[in-house]
Amino acid sequence: MLIHQDMKMADVVHLNHHLLHVINRFGIQLGYGEKTVSQLCATHKVPLPFFLEIVNTFHDPSYFPLESLLQFKASRLIEYLQQTHSYYLEFRIPEIENYIQRLNNDSSFDEAIKVLLLDFFGQYSHELTVHINKEEQRVYPYVLALEQFLESERSDQEQLELLKAYSIHEYEEDHENVEDKLFDLKNIIIKYIPSPKDSRLLNLILHEIFELEKDLNNHQHIEDLILVPIVEKMEIELRKSTKRTK
Amino acid sequence: MSELVNILIIEPSYLVREGLKTLLTQTGLAFRVEETAVINGSFQKLVEKHQPRLVFINTLLLHSHWHGNRNKAPFQKLQIIGLTWSDVPEGVLSHCDFVLDITSSKAILMHHFVHFITKLGLINDEKGSESISERESDVLRLVALGYTNNEISERLFISVHTVMTHRKNITRKLGIKTVAGLTVYSILNKLVESGELKGRASASIE
Repeated sequence: MLIHQDMKMADVVHLNHHLLHVINRFGIQLGYGEKTVSQLCATHKVPLPFFLEIVNTFHDPSYFPLESLLQFKASRLIEYLQQTHSYYLEFRIPEIENYIQRLNNDSSFDEAIKVLLLDFFGQYSHELTVHINKEEQRVYPYVLALEQFLESERSDQEQLELLKAYSIHEYEEDHENVEDKLFDLKNIIIKYIPSPKDSRLLNLILHEIFELEKDLNNHQHIEDLILVPIVEKMEIELRKSTKRTK
Repeated sequence: MSELVNILIIEPSYLVREGLKTLLTQTGLAFRVEETAVINGSFQKLVEKHQPRLVFINTLLLHSHWHGNRNKAPFQKLQIIGLTWSDVPEGVLSHCDFVLDITSSKAILMHHFVHFITKLGLINDEKGSESISERESDVLRLVALGYTNNEISERLFISVHTVMTHRKNITRKLGIKTVAGLTVYSILNKLVESGELKGRASASIE
């Protein structure tokens, strides 16, 4: 069942509680009362179609975003993607790290294994941070500059040359798979860690990793299916405008 | 996953068609489905158009539309599964590879589905649980220590191609893709000592 504008926001969460974080990223916090999706979007000045597409893409991975999504402004999409980035770096990653640290209280656990896990997760979070920084410092500014240029008078030749030197496809190729390590960590914990006396904390860690993975997959899905096509469209427009000035 | 399997469903009942698709999804088969409630024209034309590997067809429709030879194109390469409510119309049995009683329980239906899907080799039932061989663990040890494929091939006197095959199998069996992950596995399973890693630390950074 897809999420539609007349549903109560509370029912959306009852239907799929994984959406809570996604809803938060639009600035919509708990305490929905009886308000519907469209009412809350209006209150928080979130464009309704944009909210629905993003939430449904997360809710149903086989849901393919509508053509209309390509009409959205890249800057709005980037704002959302940045929200998810800071959610990973400021909340989810430290939280998992915290749980792994808490293994220290379990004396039945071999010291070396705790260190191994923490190290491995440390490597992962470093890679994720590098990847995110690259997007935020190189890719997003390019997309924003492109959008700004197309909305302007398009007379700045210098800016035009600068933009033409880059393409979103370089970024696609650059889109290395940061998820492999997370995948490995799941199997290491599920299959290869010597059975502890009490698995509850490890269960919790696994649960968090599965959640993070689901979120990251969706994040990449949105970049590949929505952001990249929007930018491609802008790049075609840019090339057209080059011809006009020549 | 292997490529999508074409499936054709010819059945008047919407509910039966939906139920079939639901069960097919649950088998884990990757498929693409064409469905129709009626046969416009001939059964043979439908088959030629969609080129299915599996055809689910209502036996009454099959009975009234069958003109052809099971041993000739386009029928010899596909599996025909007749769908029946109760009695199978006379003469239809010989055209079907299998007859499915749609009033059966879910467990029985699933059992039949998995049976003919594996029989066709549409799902490879490879043993995912097999553990790694001695040779693979030699390779794994060196991977964990940070050796490159070239170095491993020289040390073990095998080709680089063989090293890569071993690595693929290791990853498939363990469910671990990265060098760092394989290193953790090797330490946990005492294939390497964490002390050994120190000397090669720089080599393991790709």
